[in-house]
Amino acid sequence: MKYVLKRLGLLLVTMILVSFLTFLAFQLVSGDPAVTMLGTDATAAQLQTLRHELGLDLPFLTRYFRWLGGFFTGNLGVSYSYRQPVWNLVSSKLTISLCLSLMSFVLIAVISIPAGIFSYSRTGGPLSWLRTVFNQLCMAVPPFFTGILFSWCFGILLKIFTPGDFPGFDSDFAESMRHIFFGAVCLAIPRIAMTIRMLRSTVVSEMNKAYVRTAISRGNDRRSVLMRHVLKNSMLSVVSFLGQTLAELVGAGIVVEQVLGIPGLGRFLVASISHRDYPVVQTIVVILAFWVVLAGTAADLINQAIDPRLRQGSRS
Amino acid sequence: MKKKINPYLLAGLIITGFMLLVTIIGVFWTPYVPTAMKYGKFQMPSAAHIFGTDNFGRDIFSRVLKGTATTFSIALLTVSIGAVAGTLIGAVTGYFGGFIDDVLMRLNDALTAFPSFLLALLIVSLVGPGKKYSVVLALGIVFIPSFARVMRTEFASLRGRNFVTQARLMGARNGRILLVHLLPNTIRVLLPALTIGFNNAVLAEASMSFLGIGVTPPDASLGYMLSEAQGMLASGPWYAIFTGLTIVLLVFGVGLIGEGLQAQNRGVD
Amino acid sequence: MKKRILAVSLALVMIVMLFTGCGSNGTQTAAPSPSPEEEAPSAAPEKSERASGNEVSIGIAQDFDSLDPDHMTAAGTKEVLFNVFEGLVKPTAAGDIVPAVASSVEKSEDGLQYTFTLREGVKFHNGETVTADDVVYSIERRWNGEDTAAQLPALGVIESVEAGDNSVTITLTEPSNEFLASIMTAYILPKDYADQETSPCGTGPYKFVSREVQDNLVLERFADYWGEPGHLDKVTFRILENAEGLVLGLQSGALDLVAHMTTDQTMQLDEKEFTIAEGSMNLVQALYLNNAEKPFDDVRVRQALCYAVDKQAVIDLAFDGYGTPLGTSMFPSFSKYYDDSLTDYYQQDLAKAKELLAEAGYPDGFDMTITVPSNYTPHVNTATVLVELLREVGINVTVQPVDWGTWLQDVYTDRKFQSTITGLTSDNMTARKLLDRFASTAHNNFTNYSNEEYDEIFAQAIAATDDAEQVGLYKQLEKNLTENAANVYLQDMADLVAVRNGLQGLTFYPLYVLDVSALSWAA
Repeated sequence: MKYVLKRLGLLLVTMILVSFLTFLAFQLVSGDPAVTMLGTDATAAQLQTLRHELGLDLPFLTRYFRWLGGFFTGNLGVSYSYRQPVWNLVSSKLTISLCLSLMSFVLIAVISIPAGIFSYSRTGGPLSWLRTVFNQLCMAVPPFFTGILFSWCFGILLKIFTPGDFPGFDSDFAESMRHIFFGAVCLAIPRIAMTIRMLRSTVVSEMNKAYVRTAISRGNDRRSVLMRHVLKNSMLSVVSFLGQTLAELVGAGIVVEQVLGIPGLGRFLVASISHRDYPVVQTIVVILAFWVVLAGTAADLINQAIDPRLRQGSRS
Repeated sequence: MKKKINPYLLAGLIITGFMLLVTIIGVFWTPYVPTAMKYGKFQMPSAAHIFGTDNFGRDIFSRVLKGTATTFSIALLTVSIGAVAGTLIGAVTGYFGGFIDDVLMRLNDALTAFPSFLLALLIVSLVGPGKKYSVVLALGIVFIPSFARVMRTEFASLRGRNFVTQARLMGARNGRILLVHLLPNTIRVLLPALTIGFNNAVLAEASMSFLGIGVTPPDASLGYMLSEAQGMLASGPWYAIFTGLTIVLLVFGVGLIGEGLQAQNRGVD
Repeated sequence: MKKRILAVSLALVMIVMLFTGCGSNGTQTAAPSPSPEEEAPSAAPEKSERASGNEVSIGIAQDFDSLDPDHMTAAGTKEVLFNVFEGLVKPTAAGDIVPAVASSVEKSEDGLQYTFTLREGVKFHNGETVTADDVVYSIERRWNGEDTAAQLPALGVIESVEAGDNSVTITLTEPSNEFLASIMTAYILPKDYADQETSPCGTGPYKFVSREVQDNLVLERFADYWGEPGHLDKVTFRILENAEGLVLGLQSGALDLVAHMTTDQTMQLDEKEFTIAEGSMNLVQALYLNNAEKPFDDVRVRQALCYAVDKQAVIDLAFDGYGTPLGTSMFPSFSKYYDDSLTDYYQQDLAKAKELLAEAGYPDGFDMTITVPSNYTPHVNTATVLVELLREVGINVTVQPVDWGTWLQDVYTDRKFQSTITGLTSDNMTARKLLDRFASTAHNNFTNYSNEEYDEIFAQAIAATDDAEQVGLYKQLEKNLTENAANVYLQDMADLVAVRNGLQGLTFYPLYVLDVSALSWAA
C-alpha cells in the first residue's frame, strides 16, 4: 500500500515536471500560436487581440498554473489550431498508439527473450556467425525504411493491407489491426535485435562468473545452471532495458505512423509542435509521462521480484 | 598467457578501421566536390561515378564519404554524452538510492517523456540556428535516460555484493568504491549498451533527418541521405542501396567490436 | 514471390518519364481528361475494390486547420473547403467571377453600391433556405466579426450591409475594382449556426460528413445544390504527411488523386494506372531578401544576386524542368497584369554579378543565410541549388531549415532573417494581393522593401477606378520590383497532379483550389 502511494506520488511529480518543462520549452522556442492561427494575413492589432483572448499575454507562471489548474479539474483546454477540446482530438489517437506500442512491445519481449537464450546456448555453432550478422543487419535498418519496404511487399505486391487507407477501428477492425501489426513489426525489428544482443552478452558474462563455474565444476548441469541462476541475474538489466524500450515506444512510433499512415499520437504530437498548439502538446506529453512512469514501475516491480535484494535496498 | 584474438573482434576492428579510414579520407579528400551539381541527374554507377549520381546530379560516392564522417562523429559524440551522463546518474542513483535516486529518476522519466522533436527545436533556438552541434546535443540528451536506467539497475544490484561491503568495512570512500570497485564490474552491461547506443544514435539521426531537423543541406549525413533516397527508389535505387550499405557497415563494425570484446573478456573476470 | 518482387523492382527501375514535351506555361488550362478507353489498364481486375461505389479518395500532405471558413488560415483547408462553401459570387476555372448565391449583381454609377439579388431557393446543407438575413450575417461576420481571426482586410472598404427584399445591398466607402473578388471568399453561412468548427455548413456542391484530425475528412454530394451537382457521391481526403506514404497510397489503390507532387514522386507511378496532369501552382516562388538587412539594403548586391542566379537552372535541377520562370511578383495566370518581358530582365551574367558586388564593396563575396521552412521540400531543394549557384560569385550560403512555427514567427512576423524561400499566392484572384505587400507601410511587407516611387504608384493604382489605368499602374509596380531587384524572383511552380486513369474532369483554377464537383469516373 505504501509502495502504491509512493508510486502514485512519483507519477504525479513526473507529470508535473514534464508539463512544466514543456511549457518552459515553448516559452523559449520561437513561434507564436497567435501567428500560426491567424496565418500570413494578420495585422499586428489582430495578433494582439488574439493573444489577449488566449491569455498568451499573461506572465509565464500564471499561464502555467492556469493550465495546471485546468488539468486537475479535468479541463485540458481547447486546441489552438482545431479550436476543439483537446481530449476529443487526442483520445482516438491514444487508443491507436497504445495498440501499436503494446503490440510492438509484445513482439519484442516474446521474440527476443527466447531468441537471446537460444542464441547463447548455440554459441559457436556453424550458423552462429550468420546469426550475428543477421542480428546486426536488423539493428541497422531505420524503421522508416522497413516501413516503406513492408508497404511495398505486403501492401502493394501481396495486398495483405492497403497502405494509406487506415480505416479506423470502428469501420474495419481487422484492417486497422493489420496496419498496426506491420507498423509494430517495423518498430520492433531493430529493438528485437538489440534486446537479443543485450541479453546474450549479459548471459555470456554471467556464465563466466565464479559462482557459475563453481556450480558447473561441482557437476551441476550447465543448462540447469543457466536456467536457474544465470538467467535470473541476467534478466535484471534486460528488464530495465525492456522497460526503457516500452517507455520510448510511444514516442518512437512517429516515423512509422507517418510512413504507414497510421493516425497515432506521435504524428499528432509533431504536427502540434510545429503549429505551436500548446494545449495539445501539453496533453500528449503528460500522457507520455504517465506511460513512462508506468513502464518504469513495471520494470522495477519485476526486477524486485527477481532479485529481492533490490527491494531491501530501496528501503534503506 | 597469450590469447588468440577473437574473430568477431578482428572482423569488427577491420571493418571499423576501414570506416574510420573512409571517414578520415572524407574529411580531406573526395573525388568530386560533394555539393557540385553538374554530373547529370540519376546517372547509373559507372567508372567515373562508382556510386552513381543523385537527383541533383551530385556524385553519391563523394557524398557518402562526407556523410560517413558526419554520421560517425554525430553518433560517437551522441553516445559519449549519453553514456557519460547516464553512467553518472546511474551510479549515483543506483548506489546511494533514497532521495537523490527519486529526484534524478523523476528527471530521467520526464526526459524520456519529453518529445525529442521539441528538444531539438529548443536546443536549436538556444544555441542559435545553423550550429552543427545542436543535433549532437539534442540527441545526446535524448540518450541519457536509457543509459541511466540500465546503469542504475546494474549499480543497485552490485552494491549489495560482498566485495562492496568488504571495501566499505576496510574504510574505502564511496567515490573510490564507485570508481574502482563498481565501475569495472559494470563493463559487462556498459559495453553492449555502448554498441547498441551507437547503433541507436545512427538510427535516431536518420529519424531526425526524416523529420527535417538533422543536418542542414547541402551537407549530408548518411541518415539524411537515406531518408532522401527512400523517395527515389524508382529513379535511382543505387542511391538508397549504397547509402544503406554504408550505414549497415558502420553499425556492423562497431557491433562486432562489442561482440568480440565481450567474448574476449570471457574467462578474464 | 521472389520472382515477383524482382520483376516489379526491375519494372520500377525502368519506368520511363510519364510525360514529355509539356513546356507550356500551363496557365488556366484545364487538364485533358484522360481517355482510358483505348488503353484499358491491364491491372484493372485487381483494382476492382476501387471501382465499387462512385467515390474518390484524395491524398493531402498537410492536415486541415479550423473548418470554420472565418477561422481557417491554411491554404490546404481553403483549397478543399472551396467545395463546401460559396460566396455571393464565385470564381470559374477561366478566372471569371460569376454569380453564385446571388443570381445577379448590380453596381451603382458611382461604384459605391453593389446590389446582390439572391438566387431563388438556394439551400444550406442543413436544409434551410438562404435568406437575406443569412447573407448579411455572413458578410458582417467576415467583415466586422467579434472574432479577430475572421477579418478580411480587403473588405475594409465596406461601409454598410443591408438586407432588402430578397436582396442585399453593400455600400462602400470608396470605389474598388477588386471588391467583387474579395467578397468571393466571404462565404454564406446560416445565421447563428454555432457548429461551423465541428460540422461546417455552407451552400456548396459538397457537404461535410465527418473529420478525424490528422487522418481524414469526408465530403458527400449535396443533393439539393442549386447549380450543376457533383458527379461523385463521396469524396474522402486522407492526410499523409510523408511523401512516400502518398505514393504508396496511390500504388495500393487507397488514393485516386494527389495534387502538388514532386517529380520524384510522380516518377514512381505506373503510367498504365495514373496520368500526371500539369498545371501551375499560381504562386511567386522567390529568394525573398530582407531589404533592411545588410548587405541586401544595397540595390547593387540584390542585382548581383539576380545576375548570379539562373532561374532555368533552378527549375531544371530542383524541379526536373517543370515550372515557369518569373521575373517579378506576378504570375502568368493573371494574364491581364502579367508582363512577360520582365522575366529575362536579368540574364545570368557572372562577370556582371561580380562587378556589382565589387562596386558595393564585396569584391570577395560575403556569407549569407537562407532560412527555409523544413516541411516544404521544394523550397529546401531550391535553397540547396542556390547554394551552388551563388558560390560561383563568391557568396557563401548557409541553408537553415526551420519548422513552420519558427518560420512564421521569425521570418514572416518578426522579420528577423536575411533571406528566405517561399511562394506567395493570391487567395482571392486579385493581382493586388501580390503587390500590396511591397508598399513600405504594408503590415505584411516582410521583406522590408521600401521604395518611394513604388509607394506613390501603389497609392495611385488602388485609387484608380479605370481598369486600363489600373492595369498600367500595376505593370509599373512589377517593373519597379524587377529593376530594383526587390527579391530574386524564380518561378511559378508547376502543380503536378497524379490522377488515376478513368477519373476525369480535373480542372485547374487560377486559385489554389481543388474542385471535386467536376470530377467523375469514366463510364
